[in-house]
Amino acid sequence: MTMALFSGSIDKLTGAGVILSGAAADDMDIDVYVLLMAARAFVKGNENKIDGLSEYPELKEEFLNSLETLKVSTWIEFFGMAKELTNVKIHICSLAGKMWGGEKMEDFIDLADDICGIGEYITSAQEADVHLFI
Amino acid sequence: MSTEELIAIEADKTVDARGTACPGPLLEAKKAIGTISSGQIMEVLSADEGTKRDIPKWANKKGHEYLGTIEESGYFKIYLKKG
Repeated sequence: MTMALFSGSIDKLTGAGVILSGAAADDMDIDVYVLLMAARAFVKGNENKIDGLSEYPELKEEFLNSLETLKVSTWIEFFGMAKELTNVKIHICSLAGKMWGGEKMEDFIDLADDICGIGEYITSAQEADVHLFI
Repeated sequence: MSTEELIAIEADKTVDARGTACPGPLLEAKKAIGTISSGQIMEVLSADEGTKRDIPKWANKKGHEYLGTIEESGYFKIYLKKG
């Protein structure tokens, strides 16, 4: 499975994490390409600053409270669990990383595996049996 | 398998995932099934309605045998035999 992760808001990152962990439970090999807005969440120091919603921003408090009440894992925990369960590689788009101050691997959180160009994503999307854009 | 037969099962492994919402129970089941041997039985406790359909489908796809589900008060028990 190839996932293009464009969005960096907590609602879409959480949704991506749920899908990712479900695919991991199914033993799928997964490549995640972290594109423009999502790269902000993967730069060290930003991971806990991600709390805006892409959809219905006025419902932010309700959304966050529901996550807590239902004991839903954080998006970082979902991504980490998926990596524990199966072969998940997280590739940071070099342009996207630079936009948010990340140029080298040490600038990103440990979930990131490498920095790549857009050509690699296109090839991966062509070869994948499941391709998602979030 | 009948409810009586399910009730009589002594599971080799019990996963209590009642504190988590979807996909928590599935992830707990996935982790735990790696710790038992082929032919052994695992019992998954969940209060998440989606899990009732999710885990049997996942189990059949991964080559495990879904034995059945028992409804309890506020949660249910799903029984799987590892393939």
